[in-house]
Amino acid sequence: MIRTLKPRTGGIRDKSPLLDILIYVVMFLMLLVCVTPFLYIIAMSLSSSEAILNGRVSLWPVGFSVEAYTQIFNYPNFFRAYRNTIFYTVAGTAISLTLMVMFAYPLSKSRLKGQKFVMKLVVFSMFFSGGLIPNYLLISNLKLTGTPLAMILPFAINQFNLIILINFFRSLPEELEEAARIDGLNYGGTLVRILLPLSAAALATIGLYTAVFFWNDWFYGLIYLNNEQYPVMLLLRNIVNGTTMVGEAGGVGERASVAIAVKSAVIISSTLPIILLYPFLQQYFVKGIMVGAVKG
Amino acid sequence: MTKEIRKSKGPSARRRYINNYWQLYAMMALPLAHFLLFKYLPMFGNILAFRRFRPLTGPYGVSWVGFRYFEMFLNDAGFLRAFSNTLILSVSNLVINFPIPIIFAILLNELRNLRFKRLVQTVSYMPRFISTVVVISILTELLSPSSGLLNRMLQQSFGLDPVYYMNDAAYFRPLYVLTDMWQYTGWSAIIYLAAITNINAELFEAARIDGASRWQQIRFVTLPTIMPTVMVMFILKVGHLLSLGFEKVLLMYTPANSPVSDIIDTYVYRMGFQSSANQYSYATAIGLFSGLIGLILVASSNYLSRRATGESIY
Repeated sequence: MIRTLKPRTGGIRDKSPLLDILIYVVMFLMLLVCVTPFLYIIAMSLSSSEAILNGRVSLWPVGFSVEAYTQIFNYPNFFRAYRNTIFYTVAGTAISLTLMVMFAYPLSKSRLKGQKFVMKLVVFSMFFSGGLIPNYLLISNLKLTGTPLAMILPFAINQFNLIILINFFRSLPEELEEAARIDGLNYGGTLVRILLPLSAAALATIGLYTAVFFWNDWFYGLIYLNNEQYPVMLLLRNIVNGTTMVGEAGGVGERASVAIAVKSAVIISSTLPIILLYPFLQQYFVKGIMVGAVKG
Repeated sequence: MTKEIRKSKGPSARRRYINNYWQLYAMMALPLAHFLLFKYLPMFGNILAFRRFRPLTGPYGVSWVGFRYFEMFLNDAGFLRAFSNTLILSVSNLVINFPIPIIFAILLNELRNLRFKRLVQTVSYMPRFISTVVVISILTELLSPSSGLLNRMLQQSFGLDPVYYMNDAAYFRPLYVLTDMWQYTGWSAIIYLAAITNINAELFEAARIDGASRWQQIRFVTLPTIMPTVMVMFILKVGHLLSLGFEKVLLMYTPANSPVSDIIDTYVYRMGFQSSANQYSYATAIGLFSGLIGLILVASSNYLSRRATGESIY
């Protein structure tokens, strides 16, 4: 897809230098604005508390120090929260993909009676839902509050991702399936042995959307879980708004500057997996939104 | 005679159909049950808006009260404030952040250095994947009155007094809109960029032969051809006018900025979870009301768009 993004405009006769200047200014501004906040936080997390206190840190670490990282790594709550987040992300993504594949494959068959009705239900639920309170009461009446399942089960089926997957299955050539059926495979076998191996890109795409959702979630942790089950994003929120103290993160003066470094270190380490994986996954993300854009 | 045959064909055709497709029904049984349980049962749970809630008696309340809670919130100054805050924030966000990705996509498409273009794409999509908690934490640090970069720079260059931006009602809306811009401009541009890429090259060719400058090509070829995409995206945005980034507002919420930062969703949250009485029925009524308005907004903007441009989402 990226390869076909050749500019279609612009001619030999018309150079429009003004337009080119405008474009480059906008693009450099975009790069700057996207990257600067991260540089600032990285610099803060790696600077000495004395440099932070004197306000000498901007976009590069001053008085290099890994003190903040050693502090959070010696803080048991951080590890626990990190482990919780990894668990929610891995288990949530696995359950989510399984359920969505089992849903999307039958729904990709328009011959199936009732398929259109279920599709209507899916689309309608994208525009109207039981609000916050009915959802909360359902989860607590199912006795899921205070269990990790509350973080995973209610969000397993995402309608946008489901539609991406349905569209993908529809785009596969029908002859493939017919051949598999003639060779004696049933629907389950066809799905698992023939279609899924061909769906790696689509599964990677929605798998990544799903994983990012679970990794970033904090609000449902807040209303459904107990302290020791909190995900790392909720811990970060509590550290930043002062509900939770990390090491010396609650102090004033000298200690307040340690607090800034510690907060920054938590921000960086909780986002690191996404920042590191992102460049490799980016191509899938973009493909995914394109598949989803094909109207079903 | 023919009737007879069709009759006798009936059951066997059905049997063939079942023989053929039962596996598909079996496969979707579990996800369908899950979907109905977690998406449609809460929808049904909205009847709590018309019923009195009592703890430990299930999610659907104990007795009918009609529109009592609706009358209550329509006379509740707190709700009315939240409602107008929602509209103001949402409309300013739409007016500013809807056109920007379109402009960005058009400019990006004009970039002729393809490697630079890919770099800009890669970097500008990234903020979409960053947690709202992280975005607001970074913002809080950047804007901190004691140590934040912005206040230090303004102080050193212009001698300005530090401002506690995150706790100042005047800055709440601009900060909300700007962080949305930061997070979603690149990502929202993808869809428009794809629409531009799909434009038939001959259209540009013809425009060039007719002597159109690049500005004119943008104005008379690019813009009109991506209009359908723009309309569809606009309908979707209007449909979600009442559902703002609730989590972000909740993270930015402070008592000092609450006169402008209290939106419907945070009001529902506070009524449901933070008021001493856990006013579930009351909060549900408000949630249902805003959900229904959202539904009406989608349906009507979809209808208007279909009448005006022939584009619709269903």
